[in-house]
Amino acid sequence: MTSAPQLTSLLTNRDLDRLARLRINAARRFTNRSRGEHLAAKGGTSTEFCDFRDYSPGDDVRFVDWNIFARIERAYVKQFHQEEEMHVAVLVDASNSMLFEGKFELARRLAAALGVLGLRAQEKVSAGALGGAAQRLRPCTGRMSMGKLFGFLESLAPGGETPIEQGIEMFLRQHRGRGVAVVLSDFLSAGDLRRAFNQLHSAGLEVFAVQILAPSELAPELAGDLRFVDCETSGHLDISSAGDLLGLYHEYRLAHEAQLSGLCQQRSGKFLSVSAAEPIEQVVFGTMRKKGWIV
Amino acid sequence: MSFSALSAAWLFTLLIPLVVFYFLKLKRPRHTIPSLVLWRQVLADQRVNAPFQKFKRNLLLLLQILLLTLLVLAAMQPFLRREASRAQRLPVLIDISASMAALDAPGGTSRLDAAKKRVRELIDTLPPDQDLALIAFGQSARRLTGFTNNRRELRLALDSLAVEDVTGDLDEALRMAQALTRTAAFDKVLLLSDGNFPARTNFELPFKIDFQRLADAGPNYGITAFNARRAPGGKWDVFVQLAASTEAETASGTVELEQDGTVVGTESVTIPKGATPRLVFQVASDQPAQLRARLTTTGFDSLAADNTASLDLPAARPLAVFCPPKLTAYRHALASLDALTLFPAETLPPPAAFDLVITDDPDDLAYPARTRCLIGLVPEELKALVSVKSENTTAIDWRRESPLLQHVQLGDVVFMDQPVSAAAAKDDAFANLGFEILAQGPRGPLIVERTDGDALLIALLFHTDRSTLPYRVGFPIFVSNVVQAALKQSGLAEAAAARTGVLPPLTLAPNRAVHITGPDRFARDERTDDRGQLTGIPAPRAGDYTITDGTTPPRHLGASLLSPAETSLAAVTQIEFADQLTVAATTTVPKADRSLWWLLACAGFVVLLVEWWWFQRRPGVA
Repeated sequence: MTSAPQLTSLLTNRDLDRLARLRINAARRFTNRSRGEHLAAKGGTSTEFCDFRDYSPGDDVRFVDWNIFARIERAYVKQFHQEEEMHVAVLVDASNSMLFEGKFELARRLAAALGVLGLRAQEKVSAGALGGAAQRLRPCTGRMSMGKLFGFLESLAPGGETPIEQGIEMFLRQHRGRGVAVVLSDFLSAGDLRRAFNQLHSAGLEVFAVQILAPSELAPELAGDLRFVDCETSGHLDISSAGDLLGLYHEYRLAHEAQLSGLCQQRSGKFLSVSAAEPIEQVVFGTMRKKGWIV
Repeated sequence: MSFSALSAAWLFTLLIPLVVFYFLKLKRPRHTIPSLVLWRQVLADQRVNAPFQKFKRNLLLLLQILLLTLLVLAAMQPFLRREASRAQRLPVLIDISASMAALDAPGGTSRLDAAKKRVRELIDTLPPDQDLALIAFGQSARRLTGFTNNRRELRLALDSLAVEDVTGDLDEALRMAQALTRTAAFDKVLLLSDGNFPARTNFELPFKIDFQRLADAGPNYGITAFNARRAPGGKWDVFVQLAASTEAETASGTVELEQDGTVVGTESVTIPKGATPRLVFQVASDQPAQLRARLTTTGFDSLAADNTASLDLPAARPLAVFCPPKLTAYRHALASLDALTLFPAETLPPPAAFDLVITDDPDDLAYPARTRCLIGLVPEELKALVSVKSENTTAIDWRRESPLLQHVQLGDVVFMDQPVSAAAAKDDAFANLGFEILAQGPRGPLIVERTDGDALLIALLFHTDRSTLPYRVGFPIFVSNVVQAALKQSGLAEAAAARTGVLPPLTLAPNRAVHITGPDRFARDERTDDRGQLTGIPAPRAGDYTITDGTTPPRHLGASLLSPAETSLAAVTQIEFADQLTVAATTTVPKADRSLWWLLACAGFVVLLVEWWWFQRRPGVA
């Protein structure tokens, strides 16, 4: 018996199977009006009971719960979840800074995994690359679009020096639809991320920010006097006695993480920082599930 | 703290290129990172820019600055000044007399080694602006180096120093130091000695003196006198005197006497504290022989040089005396004495040389003799100072302690010759010519004596035939005393071990070049004078000396006896100078200026290690 061929190089078939049982857990309900399999907070027409409310004249009498009326002689209307379509925008930072130690590779695989979650949930999924030349996957839906998604992600050309906030702004110019914006980046930008996050929030997108850092960024081993060269801007910075500054570096890195987390939470979003060295199974099926990103 | 090479401070200017090159360091490793964002924030942090953190960031630079500073300070040769004033030129007088060979303990160090150690420390810590001059002194002073800062030269001179078996003469050393003042000015002299010299000196100090007395040595026992006197029957009575150092306790030992290498006597002896026991041996010898006495003590003896003494016994023969027949009284007195042959004799031919010539005829002075006694003759040297008049006179004073006048009473003797001193003759005119006045008349000397090398001249300026002396009981005694003096002068009656320092005078062929060799490769070339006299030959070490002139068989002389003062190891605690100045000895070693350059160099090495460690250490998360 021969095993089935891999659908994509980004995810194994086994991971794809496991993803079939999961969905993105968006906290907010900025969804599209078109129906989908995503349950909206407002009452809908699905078969899944949601709540009761007092009957008001004009309500459809088909939703009156007659059993309750028989017992207490008061009319209550049953409400049901409305299954609406949610737009899942997957933004992958493809700038030069992501080329370090598998950061971009992990970003593509996470993008593929989260995109698959959206497609399997009949959500509208679009993807875009930040940081370099404009590369964009137009919104698509349904499982049949998984190949299109994989193809887009596999063909993403890394490299570029555009700051992430500019990339987000450029992406939003062509984006329509509310839902979730999954941003996969190292977020090491000197620009104003607050503005970028506000723009996402204003566009009706709940920000799911995944910060991917290389092991050398999480635990750098440096000593002596060095000249740091920025891979994106080619700017340099002379550091003396780098080993002594590592403690301070870690303080600022954690503070940066806290700031990103705060920015996301203030906009009902989520934030997660992972190491590029972590296996994707651990990130998706471990960390993201524990933190309630996917259910 | 002071610096010896302050001019090296210009090296501090190297700090400028050090700092410049540090900040312009072209070899700073390039390290590409995803983003500078976080690192820019880190560098902008107030804590990083706080003074201490800046210091920490540039610790490598600070270590390099510290290292350079330490090296430059070391190059400036700092030293810790231990004395209030430090002389720029310092003569160092080092005692090398016999007592300096004394050890402090069995197998320990000698006083000279201790002195060398102190001087070596002085040389090792010698700052560049200070010059030393080394002077060694025993019986005479010897300049080892002039004023120099050359440590190698000083060390070589110091290493060449060896103890001489002679008495220390401080005056000689001070005079040598005084002579140095003509070449370079100085105001202080360092004296290193065990203090074994007279406590008083007539030297007038033109400079300060720092008298550092070395620690006392251990007990010493030695031979201080070794002589022999002829005894009847062709024998010699040999006397050995022992002594101990002032601090030595009572000790016992053995004295062994050798005659030409054969032990002829051994005696056990106890040397009580403060006593000088005397031992008597009797040996038989008609021929020349060499005696050697050796002292062996049961306990520790700090000085070995005074444990052996040697003595040369002459061959036994009668004293050859010439006395013209007309001096009847003398011949009569001489005839009654033993162990002499009186010439002219009817049966015996005259010898080549006489031991004693007694004459009133100037022609007889042509006979070679060691001892001459002139009767009624004025020596040629004194004719300008004294003349003889025919007047009656008496002696007003005479030297009763002189061996020639022992038991001779001149008080009731009438002299019909009156020696009259010239008006221009001063009191010391006779002494300047080497004459000693033994008897003084009212107007001039009656009897004079002069010793010149091994020649003795006795001059009676009056004629005994024109005096009542021959009729006095003192006359035969006087003649006997003259004979005894002649015996002594000829070495026939007694012999004494020669002391170190200067060899006893010798009579050889006139105007002859001689070569003297001795212990410790001692060699010296000299020349005899017109009379064949060889005097003033130094004998710095105890041992046998050989004198050869190329024609006659070599003469052997032993100089083996140290001065009793050296054996006593007595040490003065202060020196009194002529100008009532007293210099006290210090026994504590003065602290020399302490050089600090090596400390700074060590600190620099430590800083270098710290810098290396800091540069190579693995980065850790603070």
